[in-house]
Amino acid sequence: MALEVDRLRKRFGAVQALDGVSLRVEPGQIFGFLGSNGAGKTTTMRIVLSLMRPDDGTVTWDGRPAHAWPRRIWGYMPEERGLYARMAVIDQLVHFATLYGVTRAAARKAALDWLARFRIAEHAGRRLETLSKGNQQKVQFIATILHEPDVLLMDEPFVGLDPINVKMLRSALLELRDRGRTIVFSTHQLEQAEALCDSVAIIDHGRIVTSGPTREVRRSTGHRVVRVAMESGDAGWLGEMEGVTVTRGGADYTEARVAPGVDPQAVLRAAVRRGPVLRLEVADPSLEEVFVELVGAIEAEEQTLAPGAGA
Amino acid sequence: MTALRNIRAIGRREVEVRIRTRSFLVGTLLLVLGVIAIAFLPVIIGHFDRTDTTRVAVVADEPAVGAQAKATIEALLNPSAGAGATTPGSQPDVTVTIESDLAAARRQAADGQLAGVLGIARAADGSLAFTYYSNDGAAGRSTAELRLAANSIAMADRLGRLGVSGAQAAALFAPVDLAVAWPDPTRTDPVRNVAASVGQDMLAFGMTILIFMIIIMYGNWVAMSVVEEKASRVMEVILNAATPYQLLAGKVFGVGVVAFVQYAAVIAGGVVSLQLQPAVASQVLGSTGAGDLTQGLTPALLLLFGLYGVLGFLLYAALYAAAGSLVSRQEDVNAAVMPMTLISTAGYMVGVYASTGLLDSRSPAITVLSVVPFLSPFMMLGRAATGVAQPWEVVLSLALLVGSIALAIWVAARIYAAGVLLYGQRPGMRAVWRLLREGM
Repeated sequence: MALEVDRLRKRFGAVQALDGVSLRVEPGQIFGFLGSNGAGKTTTMRIVLSLMRPDDGTVTWDGRPAHAWPRRIWGYMPEERGLYARMAVIDQLVHFATLYGVTRAAARKAALDWLARFRIAEHAGRRLETLSKGNQQKVQFIATILHEPDVLLMDEPFVGLDPINVKMLRSALLELRDRGRTIVFSTHQLEQAEALCDSVAIIDHGRIVTSGPTREVRRSTGHRVVRVAMESGDAGWLGEMEGVTVTRGGADYTEARVAPGVDPQAVLRAAVRRGPVLRLEVADPSLEEVFVELVGAIEAEEQTLAPGAGA
Repeated sequence: MTALRNIRAIGRREVEVRIRTRSFLVGTLLLVLGVIAIAFLPVIIGHFDRTDTTRVAVVADEPAVGAQAKATIEALLNPSAGAGATTPGSQPDVTVTIESDLAAARRQAADGQLAGVLGIARAADGSLAFTYYSNDGAAGRSTAELRLAANSIAMADRLGRLGVSGAQAAALFAPVDLAVAWPDPTRTDPVRNVAASVGQDMLAFGMTILIFMIIIMYGNWVAMSVVEEKASRVMEVILNAATPYQLLAGKVFGVGVVAFVQYAAVIAGGVVSLQLQPAVASQVLGSTGAGDLTQGLTPALLLLFGLYGVLGFLLYAALYAAAGSLVSRQEDVNAAVMPMTLISTAGYMVGVYASTGLLDSRSPAITVLSVVPFLSPFMMLGRAATGVAQPWEVVLSLALLVGSIALAIWVAARIYAAGVLLYGQRPGMRAVWRLLREGM
């Protein structure tokens, strides 16, 4: 039982949007789908959801073709938010849920519960267009999950949320995962993925660059990261060591990347020899560092209000 | 099961969202008031006509000719004057005064106190010479009426000079009864009287206008609704739950119900008004007036109206939805629905021309066109109401209509399925054809 995407290919005119995309999402996991604008995230999701047919390749869930499953096992939150602007919040939530077979009464109750949980219960009877963007996005999320889908695909769910709402959404996602749901979301905010995802995949120009458990992906380049804070405040000597590159110099600590083959412990020993040490840390590179190294600088699709809250 | 549930849910939303709006309520109210006004139009016109008395003066050389002219004009131009005393409270259409001073009378006509002055002089050869002094000119309404009256005055005068008595003259002018029968001796259905066939003609004409309005107006609603969902990107959310076919069917069904509700109100208003018309007419006008429309309102005509209205709407609405799915912005809707607008307008125009007699509704071309699915909703009703169309033509046109609806929904669902996820592109004919072949 897993979501398996096998060698998907899709061409739009002159553009090869997907060029053999393969993925495996374990059930009950949160899976991060990372890539720049136009890398193929949305197209992959649309194909997984049978909204679009691939030119080639297959998608299966639990061994059966994805399109053969009833629609109610899928939840989808598109990147372009889509709700009826002039309809009351509660009315459209009930409408969407009934399309998946939820009864009106059950949908109404569940919708009110979720609205209360996201602290927008007082907006239930108001027209959607009167809500702030952040609140609209929370309504969109509720619309995606009211029918309790087994597999949840979300395109950039965190874009446009302030830090408080990011926190609410994250705890909601974690709760859904703990209830056994499988969650796939795309993002270009790599801190979010790092903090939340059990596994990730990096996609670029329609190809999967790397994928796997988050920890393995972070180690996939072979680099390690050391963070050093000397009592003298001077850690400039780090950059003079063989295979070590300072990536962040600061008053509090200095961060450096250690090339594959260089033992990070050697850096630590060198620090101790230099004088009193306040902080010494060996860590995996962040997803962002891995991404930059494998793909190049990420193009922000939209500036976010949430600069990596909680990361 | 799932399909029906989703079609119902989508249709239900469409109905709820539309019926709740103020514009729907106001629009329905205006349409009902409009149809009531049209139904009572004969009564209203009669009412205003009645109070509008035309005053005419007669100036004649001979007093006898003057009196004769006054009697003739009043008898000829006041329909109810034949009954002797006019009904209390109602005024005659024309009143005639006999004047002796032509110059003074002409001044009054020039000032507008009189509609005109009819001068009558005996010419040298014994015949009467008429001059009408009026601001109406040669083509005005009172001029036309007076021309008619002058003919009768001259005729009566000539008969008098030939020695024919008044009673003999009346017998001479008594109307004859013209019997009308079918040329086909085997045809047994009765020839309808003038009132019934005129009424049925007018009703069929009005119904054709209503069908045209239903198709254009609600067809556009369907297209707008599709584009609105596309523009707001709700489409992607819904398509995860429902198939394009369900979405299309739900929309057409929902808007169809709204159309039905609105037009049921309109038709109920119209039927009730027509039933009340004779009673109101007798109350207001003192006479029942012509009950043409009431007589023409037959169950068969109503049934045909319902069939052509519903089937025509389904056929066009499916294609309107498909057209809407091809564009992404509200501004582009008009261009996308142009083909449907053109075809329906063409059908409507030809239908109207045929029913008003500008085109021969019996010609082979019109007969063939009135069976063609996209045109029959606008053309067959008028032909059926006047008895021009044979029953088999009506049945054939309905059968073709039903068949083409199935085809149109199939085509529309394919275009729709492919079109709804096309953003930013404006597909031309070739792209549409490719979509049809490939499906997605």
